[in-house]
Amino acid sequence: MSAATETLNVRGIEVTLHRAGRGEPLLYLHSASAEASAWGEAFELLAHRYDVIVPVHPGFPGSGGLDRIQNVGDLVLHYVDLLNALKIQPPHVVGSSLGGWIAAELASLYPERIGSLSLVGAAGLWVEGAPIAEVFGVLPGQLAERLFFDQQHPLAQMLHAAGETAFDTPPPEEILLAFHQSTEATARVAWNPYFHNPVLERRLDRITAPVLVLWGAEDRFIPRAHAERYRDRIRGAVLRTIPQCGHLPAIEKPDQFAREVLTFLDAHPVNPPEVA
Amino acid sequence: MKFFFFHLMPWPHLPKDYQGPAWITCPNSFYDPEKGTAVYNRYLDELLYAEELGFDGVVVNEHHANAYGNMPSPNLIGSILARQTKRVKIAIVGNALPLYNPPVRVAEEFAMIDVISGGRLIAGMVVGGGPEYYSNGLNPTHAREQFYEAQELIVQAWTRPGPFEFHGKHYKLRYVNPWPRPLQQPHPPIWIPGAGSLETMEFCAKRRYAYMGIPYFHKRVFQRNFDFLREACAKEGYVPDPEQLGWLTPIYISDSDEQAWREYEQHLFYFAHRLLEGITTAPPGYTTAKSVVRMVQARGDFMSNCKTRQDIEAGDFAIVGSVATVREKMRDLIETYGVGNILALLQLGTLPADLTRRNMELYAREVLPYLRSHFGAKAAAA
Repeated sequence: MSAATETLNVRGIEVTLHRAGRGEPLLYLHSASAEASAWGEAFELLAHRYDVIVPVHPGFPGSGGLDRIQNVGDLVLHYVDLLNALKIQPPHVVGSSLGGWIAAELASLYPERIGSLSLVGAAGLWVEGAPIAEVFGVLPGQLAERLFFDQQHPLAQMLHAAGETAFDTPPPEEILLAFHQSTEATARVAWNPYFHNPVLERRLDRITAPVLVLWGAEDRFIPRAHAERYRDRIRGAVLRTIPQCGHLPAIEKPDQFAREVLTFLDAHPVNPPEVA
Repeated sequence: MKFFFFHLMPWPHLPKDYQGPAWITCPNSFYDPEKGTAVYNRYLDELLYAEELGFDGVVVNEHHANAYGNMPSPNLIGSILARQTKRVKIAIVGNALPLYNPPVRVAEEFAMIDVISGGRLIAGMVVGGGPEYYSNGLNPTHAREQFYEAQELIVQAWTRPGPFEFHGKHYKLRYVNPWPRPLQQPHPPIWIPGAGSLETMEFCAKRRYAYMGIPYFHKRVFQRNFDFLREACAKEGYVPDPEQLGWLTPIYISDSDEQAWREYEQHLFYFAHRLLEGITTAPPGYTTAKSVVRMVQARGDFMSNCKTRQDIEAGDFAIVGSVATVREKMRDLIETYGVGNILALLQLGTLPADLTRRNMELYAREVLPYLRSHFGAKAAAA
């Protein structure tokens, strides 16, 4: 299956969006990494049973509108607008890292717009004694170490190689541009406060949808204490971890990621089959 | 043509075994306040000595949380100079505007220094270095926008009768009415230091502000930037006076080329390899993604990559040698660049007080008169 890629105008912001599959709608909110730039294996697996919709956040390569984004609240409104534009029922929302933060905000401010919520290595909280690691301005090799458990993963390898050869042979301009554009769009909302919103935690009890908290067991970017905080503050949330996996399960362990998400979603249909 | 003495006030006592950056995370346990007293007072003496030696002006700047330059508040140093000097221009290049909230603070402090000094201030304004956005928590994706708006606010604060309301995107003030007002009218000359951002140069061309090329680049980078600035001025319909272009460069003079290098080399490389380490940290959105890519591609032209004397000389990253050598190199580079504000960095890295003074004396007594007469005669002939 290959995904259809379309451009959608969301209240004046041109958004690139990938979509494939049939079933209940599943909105995937991507991380600051590149997983929305291509239709990856994880999306493919989810699309076997769901209508998977993967929009590119404003300001990231493929989407405009960074000038309209001043903070995470603007991103939340953008996704309300996007749901309106798509005219879909309250979807299953799966958010990774930065996207997990947006998803948690969306679910606590507009609980009725969400069918279920999967927070995957989600940013958004501040936990004393468990700081989120620095990612802005660190060397590509350090970034690889923070994001991946398996340093042999092709993306981790690419980062390590970029760090080693950047001086003599810089990576292709297109890749550099995409990287810096993504980083800028991330920094716009995540520079300070660093990857969190101080008022999010006390709003989490507003969430009414079923919630899965999914974490890479070896996440060196956002410590597990954040997963536990989400689980503890959201009524009924379940915490699952993926062994030998870093911060980005959809990229590093697409099979396990999809299995965990599908198991959870199948148990929490938005439209339960009518009992005969 | 104007000749300035520039001081960075570097920290000369980094531990020998420390290999990390001099910025953002360089542990401040390395700062020894007792040594600091001697360091500050020595550097202030050097700035005062520049007036005695006949420089047209002295220059200081602002940096935070680093060993490269210990002037988080250049206005404090500027206010000392306002009282302790009588003649020289005092160029503060500059205040990192987004770090002052509200930026009216800059209008106030600069006006104080201008009034106290009898109208000798040159008001430099900068976005602030990349590392400063880490050290101060400011969002770098708003840096440029905030800088331009703050600059606009400050100029209005100096030139519009107060009180007035300023309603910008980042700054909203219902009563702008700073006391004192600057002595120089309509306002002190404004200098904008830049590392080659095209946008900054276009801005200077439009406003007719003086542009100061930040050093530590290969001469071809300087050349490209000054040429671009002249083109930008031409697009605005004028030919810039050379004094709209400033060039900052490290200089060291001794009895012969060999002796100059013998005395200077270790101090220069303390600077190039240790104090510059981390200075180019560019936080996301601080410049456009395109500019970042251009910078990554031009990294080879930055001074910290120089390994040897030959590397330094090949790019004229520093002008080092006998009086004759320095005269000739300075003359040629000033001509090539077409610059009229010459900013000499005569203390660098760990260069000690005695060598610094001698360097200043040789430059002021042997090189300046030569350059003044050479370019004076040229101007008269023109």
